[in-house]
Amino acid sequence: MVGQLWFMIHKDLVSEWRARHAWPAMFVLGAVVALLLSLQTDLPPREKSRMVAMLLWLAVYFAGMIAIDRSFAVEREDNCWEILRLYPVRASVVFLAKLVVNILALTAVEIVLVPLFIVLCDTPQLASPAALLPLILLANIGLAAVGTLLSAVTARIGRDNLLAILVLPLVTPVLVAAAEASRLVMDGDFGPLWSAWMRLLVSFGVIFVTAGAVLFEFVLED
Amino acid sequence: MSTALHATVRRAALVPLCTGALLVAAGLGVALLAPREATMGDTQRIVYVHVAVAWCSLVGLLAAAGTGLLYLLRRHLVWDHWAQTSAELGWLCATLTLITGAWWAKAAWGTWWTWEPRLTTAFILWCLYSGYLIARHSIEQADRRARLSAVFAIVGALDVPLVIAATRLFRGMHPVSPTMEPSMRLVLWLNVAGYSLLFAWLALQRRRQLECAEQLLSLESRLPTEPTRRGGAGARDVAHGWHA
Repeated sequence: MVGQLWFMIHKDLVSEWRARHAWPAMFVLGAVVALLLSLQTDLPPREKSRMVAMLLWLAVYFAGMIAIDRSFAVEREDNCWEILRLYPVRASVVFLAKLVVNILALTAVEIVLVPLFIVLCDTPQLASPAALLPLILLANIGLAAVGTLLSAVTARIGRDNLLAILVLPLVTPVLVAAAEASRLVMDGDFGPLWSAWMRLLVSFGVIFVTAGAVLFEFVLED
Repeated sequence: MSTALHATVRRAALVPLCTGALLVAAGLGVALLAPREATMGDTQRIVYVHVAVAWCSLVGLLAAAGTGLLYLLRRHLVWDHWAQTSAELGWLCATLTLITGAWWAKAAWGTWWTWEPRLTTAFILWCLYSGYLIARHSIEQADRRARLSAVFAIVGALDVPLVIAATRLFRGMHPVSPTMEPSMRLVLWLNVAGYSLLFAWLALQRRRQLECAEQLLSLESRLPTEPTRRGGAGARDVAHGWHA
């Protein structure tokens, strides 16, 4: 299973590397969104952390959707769903491989966007920057799980611009939880509320990774 | 008319009659039985309808997901018809929830809309329904439409508890189970029961309509001639015997 999963991840990473012309669009969109949103953050420090955290996650969402929309670009453009079905692996393994690639893509977006937001919005110095790492990982898992499954659904539908409409309402709990937890990290508040938001992110990740692995088979079939 | 036909007509008329009677009772309860609320006055009466349609909008999504799951397990299009019916009625109820909620909010809070967590939840539910219906109408093939719609409905239903949990953590100003007079509570339950029955009756009618449309399309596809038109117009031609 692990060998199959690595094989599928490697295949998708090679495919993404060869089609890297799509990456600049993702980073530039993220930077433009960050710049435009940072114009609205001339606020007192207490309100600023809340605003910056929400705007950061919105920018990650919009830039990340470009990457997630590409999850099944080859299958959609070349209509090679049959080939994907012929791989001697379970549908859940295909889903998990695409999920891992999307998590990596979202992480790449955040490596650019988080420092950019800190500079552009002149955020207060983080009390504990390491606390952002588990938060970012959990949020990425939630966003990528829903995004990967629905990217496959919209690719099967074959209609453009549907992904963002379908994904945004579903990932609202992740965006709200990630933004609130990020705000608490900025304020250095790691109390029960921070734990509650982190638990919500864990629950979201567990539910939607499981649901995606189970339901993907139905999306893949002809 | 034969006795069997009489019995069928009587049975068919029973459900809308009961629904109508309960809705009239609920309406009279709102107008006459429920006392005038001290601070908000008559505007508070919107709550009875608002809570009932909000309940139906939640039930609609759960029904769409449940029947979607049954379609995935059984692969019979009748479950997809139920899913479509539930989603369409759920969307209607979600829209009414937003309208009645905004009306109430204007009287209570002085604004039509605020990004208060519970309002946001209602709006997200409406967006889920809208996305579901847009996705459905983008797929031509019936089996694929049923399968992909079922997946989306199940994911949507799984999301709702998490949306509610997120909004509770966010803390809002929306009243949660406020204290009510017994007569107010009775009227509220009457409305919930009435609108739930109306939902069920409309669902039955719409499901029959979808089944008839399916049968007509199936008959049309069996015609030996080259069809020049598709969908309802072709089906009507068959029904009127105009097709060559």
